[in-house]
Parts: sequence; C-alpha cells; structure tokens
Amino acid sequence: MRHGTDRGLLALTRNRRRDTGLQPERTLLAWQRTLIVIVVVTLLHLRIPFGGEDVAGDGLLHRLPPALIMLIVAGVLLVHLRRRWRGTGHGLHDDPRGRPIAPVARPWALLLLSAAAAGLGVVVALSAVAG
Amino acid sequence: MGARPLRQAGDSGDTVDREPDYRFTLANERTFLAWIRTALALIAGAVAVLHLVQLDWRPGVQTAVGSSLTALAVVIAVYAPVHWIRVQKAMRREGPLPTSVLPIITTIGVVFVCGTVLIGDFWL
Repeated sequence: MRHGTDRGLLALTRNRRRDTGLQPERTLLAWQRTLIVIVVVTLLHLRIPFGGEDVAGDGLLHRLPPALIMLIVAGVLLVHLRRRWRGTGHGLHDDPRGRPIAPVARPWALLLLSAAAAGLGVVVALSAVAG
Repeated sequence: MGARPLRQAGDSGDTVDREPDYRFTLANERTFLAWIRTALALIAGAVAVLHLVQLDWRPGVQTAVGSSLTALAVVIAVYAPVHWIRVQKAMRREGPLPTSVLPIITTIGVVFVCGTVLIGDFWL
C-alpha cells in the first residue's frame, strides 16, 4: 500500500500526460456512487426500524444472508478498486507502455456487480411473492 | 493512444482488432455503472412499495407493482454487461456501435408501473 501511494504521488507531480478531462477519476467516482447505492439499497432491504418493531417483523433472519452477501460484494469491489487505483499510480499507467487504466475495474468486477444487482432483485421479487 | 493490435479467437483473421481509445472504454464503463444504479434504484422502489410504505391498495396491485419493478431491475442488471461487452467488441473492430434496447424496455416498464399505480390509487 505504501509503495503504491508513493508511486501515485510521484505520478501526480511528474506525469504530464494526465487526462485533462479527468476520465479515470470520473469513472472511479461513478464506481463509488454505485457502491454507496448498493449499501443504501441493502440497508433498505434489511429495513431495521429506527424506533418501533412493527416494520421489521419476523423475517429479519431471512433477509440477513442476502444483505451480508451484498455487503461482502461491495467490500470486494472496494478493495479491488482501491488496489488497482493505487497500483496504477492513480489511474495513470496500467501497463509498461504507460497507457491509462481502461476499464478502471477488471471485467470480472463488472460481471460480479451486475450479478449482485440481479440477485438482489430476485430476492426482493421472491419476498413479494412470499408476502 | 497506443493502439495494440490483437486478434480474437473466432475471428476469421483478416480483421485486426485494436484496443480502443481508453476514454471510450471508460465512457462505456460509466454507462454500464449508470444502468446498474438505475436497476438498484428500481429495487429500492420495489422494497418501498412492498414492505416499507403503508398503502391502501389491494394486495394484488401492490404485488404487481413490486414484481414489475424488480423484474425490470433484473432485466437491466442482466442486459447491462452484455451491452457493455458488445460495445467494447465493436469499438475494438472500429465498427458501428450496437444499439441498446434498454431505454425502450425501461420506458415501457416505467409507464406500465405508473399506470398500475394510478389504477391502484384511484380506481381500486
């Protein structure tokens, strides 16, 4: 981690080929927004009440495993993005030829994200059928 | 940008695939993420309709709205990576970009949900 940080700082100060449109940064922000939405929707799905106990009901144990899976997926994606961002000097050079990272996350992360979103949708749909 | 010629398995070999401009790849990635956020927002709406908000609708209407929202979300979440890969391949071949059916599907789905909500709120 420390090594990656130093390389990132060096790249920030020395590299003159930084994208003037800040495309990697914008993409990283889009990822962060998406992860935040995942956490929010997961908490909404858990629906632990602030004060009363009438909303939560008795199905909390059934809602806990999918919520934990979603939070684990979000954590895995966060770690992956962080490692990749640090490892590439804040998105500046992905390979020895010095091309910027594209995409910001590896393709498996995109597939994992869409699978998690679809899975949560299926779980919510099942909860609708089950009442 | 550094174009890296690469060949894909399954191609006849006469077309040379090039890695597209990284800005296009990143734009494609952001579009994918926006679709995923759309799907997650639809799921949030389904959770609200099904479990969080006290509604005076008939149970059938509530279930229909919630199921439609989640079905729409699942379709979007499954189709988004497919379209991402298609666009990426088209850009590698420098061919025309494929059109997406997601906007039309989303429009029809949202209109359907709005109609069901109106019916459930006023006529039942």
